[in-house]
Amino acid sequence: MSTRRVVSLAIVMTTVAVALAVVAGRAQESRWEAPRTPDGQPDLQGMWTNYTNTPFEVFAEGDKPDLYAGDPDRTAQGTGPGFLNDTAGRQLARGRSLVVDPPNGRVPIMPWAEERRNYKLAHIQDDWVNHTAWERCITRGVPGGLFPAGYGSGYQILQSPGVVAIVYEMIHEARIIPLDGRPHIGSRIRTWNGDSRGRWDGDTLVVDITNYNDKGSVATNVATQRVRAIPQSEALHVVERFTRVDENTIIYEATVEDPKVFTAPWTVRIPMQREPDYRMFEYACHEGNHALPNTLSAGRARDGAR
Amino acid sequence: MRIPVVMATLAVLVLAAGGRLAAHHAFAAEFDGSKPVTLKGTVTRMEWINPHAWLHIEVKGPDGKVVAWMIEGGAPNALLRRGWNRDSLKAGTAVVVEGYRARDGSNRANGREVTTGDGRKLFIGSTGTGAPGDAQQK
Repeated sequence: MSTRRVVSLAIVMTTVAVALAVVAGRAQESRWEAPRTPDGQPDLQGMWTNYTNTPFEVFAEGDKPDLYAGDPDRTAQGTGPGFLNDTAGRQLARGRSLVVDPPNGRVPIMPWAEERRNYKLAHIQDDWVNHTAWERCITRGVPGGLFPAGYGSGYQILQSPGVVAIVYEMIHEARIIPLDGRPHIGSRIRTWNGDSRGRWDGDTLVVDITNYNDKGSVATNVATQRVRAIPQSEALHVVERFTRVDENTIIYEATVEDPKVFTAPWTVRIPMQREPDYRMFEYACHEGNHALPNTLSAGRARDGAR
Repeated sequence: MRIPVVMATLAVLVLAAGGRLAAHHAFAAEFDGSKPVTLKGTVTRMEWINPHAWLHIEVKGPDGKVVAWMIEGGAPNALLRRGWNRDSLKAGTAVVVEGYRARDGSNRANGREVTTGDGRKLFIGSTGTGAPGDAQQK
């Protein structure tokens, strides 16, 4: 190799090395460091909301939004789109879908589960059991409690050594997630919201949830569209990931697998915005739940008129 | 009380973009979109409670008899964000309430626009329920 070529190669390599160093330096500068709690956990604490204009799923021909909203006969014809209740003044992003996997943005629901959902939502005036656990003021579920609902979507996260707690505005729930490595409870114990076990994967809080009962549904509120009221089985397994990506944003991801209900696992990705001034309004659900008796009494009036 | 223009404009923009998303229940299961009702009455109290606030009014019928009505509104946080507060509709305020009757024939309605005696217009409705005119409401 000639001296000239060696010099040229050296110049090129030096240039590349400098360029890489600059890029790496910038990446280092832009990499946001999550704050730490006094005991060294990544700090997720604070008041968060997840209001969004992004639809839960990608819409497809054949979807029945009126049915999913509980209006199978389309008696409220011509109503057009509504809008999120509690969003006046908020600048909301509108992406393609909260479901990010499968890539088509559609939850792979088994036909039997859709049929069960269809029957229940078409018969909410007939029996309280046809309502989701949300309308019955029981729970919005896990992960459903963290699916944007249009109002009451406030979350307060608190941490202490070995524990992360999430207070949900809607339904007035508090969720305690132990981080001490204890195993899941025995498989015979089954609960609406399952059994959460957390751990840190770098700066990401990873929560593994098992031990669900088969009474609830992964999603309950109207904003979850086609997935609303889809039943869950005891085989349901959920993995959540909370990653604080900057001062004001947590990316929440949940991967749902239930081989008796879905043909494949699916994942939602939902940004949570820090909103320190947000104030939760007490969700005295049973006290204020006129909807359930009103719906049933409407059904009895309908029966009487037949 | 006036809802700021900016807020109303934003609401319309959001309305244009959004789908049917919110509310605790389906409008159609409880209320009848083909039975609009206009009630002239007096506020007795406002229940600030989730998932829906309820406005209680007394309506004097043609026979002079006073009948109590319950008007379903939006979620309390949603009303607060729209500019409502505890003084928006004090007891004794004369109001005209537009809404849709309950399917069971009781004296309940899903409220939309509320107009006070001094001409203020307040939108009390819960949106995204599928109530008629949802798309037109601010």
